[in-house]
Amino acid sequence: MSAEQRLTLRRRLIAFLVAGIGTAAATAISFAMTVYEAANPKVVPQVAAGQPIDTGRWIIAIHEARVGSIPPTGTRPLTPKKLLMVEFDLDNRSASASNAFLRLFAIDPPVANLPLPTFYLGRDKWIASGLQPNMPERMIAAWEWPSAVPVPQHLRLKVASQIYKHRDNLYGAPGWFDRDPVAIVTLDVAPEAGGTGR
Amino acid sequence: MNNVLKAIVAVAASAAVLYGLQRTTPSYGEITSPIAVTGKLGKRIAANAFVIGVVKVHLARTVTTKSVGRTQTFTSSGVWALVEGAAEARSESLSLMSAQWLGRDGVRYALSQRFSTVPGFLPSQRLEPGLPQPVLMAFEIPEDQVSEGTLLIARTAWTPLEEEVRIELTGVGPDDIRPALVLARSEGAVPWTLKSE
Repeated sequence: MSAEQRLTLRRRLIAFLVAGIGTAAATAISFAMTVYEAANPKVVPQVAAGQPIDTGRWIIAIHEARVGSIPPTGTRPLTPKKLLMVEFDLDNRSASASNAFLRLFAIDPPVANLPLPTFYLGRDKWIASGLQPNMPERMIAAWEWPSAVPVPQHLRLKVASQIYKHRDNLYGAPGWFDRDPVAIVTLDVAPEAGGTGR
Repeated sequence: MNNVLKAIVAVAASAAVLYGLQRTTPSYGEITSPIAVTGKLGKRIAANAFVIGVVKVHLARTVTTKSVGRTQTFTSSGVWALVEGAAEARSESLSLMSAQWLGRDGVRYALSQRFSTVPGFLPSQRLEPGLPQPVLMAFEIPEDQVSEGTLLIARTAWTPLEEEVRIELTGVGPDDIRPALVLARSEGAVPWTLKSE
């Protein structure tokens, strides 16, 4: 083996070692971080009712929860229903009108077989479609509660968050992406008033 | 030593070039953004698939709708903008599903669905080639976005590389805001009437 050949071999060995050690270190650090985060989950802050919560795309202030049999439209449904209604103020902080508030908050822990709530605009007492940016509105979410499940006395709502990415990781397209929940709001559920609703 | 210096310079230079390329590449949203067809308020604007003209922008604090047996007053935390115009398809029947009010801050206000049942509402009008039809659009906008707005009208809001008519709303300002408007059904050629109260 000539001296030149030995030199080439040594260089290749060094390059191989550097790359190998680097990869091993990156793998170990990422694995350790995952394990650490799983062992120490971030505590979601408790937020009092009525306090505005910044979720990135929306600012929401959840006010009250109540049970009723008449939906916010004011017309009594043909078949009697038990509705759990949550009133909140919502402000769209994004640059365009959106109806993405449908999954902004959820009951925690989730209730089995609970359909998604219907959203009403407090101003019209009618079903809400999208919300325009920079125009806060009072809204009401109404869950049709299954008759077999008792309505909880205290309602825990988990508020989700989203961030804006100018370029996403897949297409490089702008968009809103889900992030970890930012707040837990606990509300006392007001019982149905006098059995007649409001 | 000279070689090492050369290598460092080469690496730094290529890093700078790559950074520049990354920064200046147009984003996916820009590459696939709608193709603008610009026009002015009161003028007929012809895109490839449709023709539209906006005649008048009415601004009001409240709007009352009157239809058979039902009167409803709509309020808003901002102002209502009711836009009257006419549209026609060019080669095939179509509906214009998307209209947005682009405010001067760059914020987009979509058609208000709170008026979706009024006659002549743009997304529910089916446009036929050669048959101009009156169309009505309703927006809910904050008061400071009233002037220097632009109206964006397209077949859909999401299809990439679709043509989009952009109408500059010159001459519309906060002085035109009226306290109340009444929107009623009509039997004439224009299926609605707009009156100031």
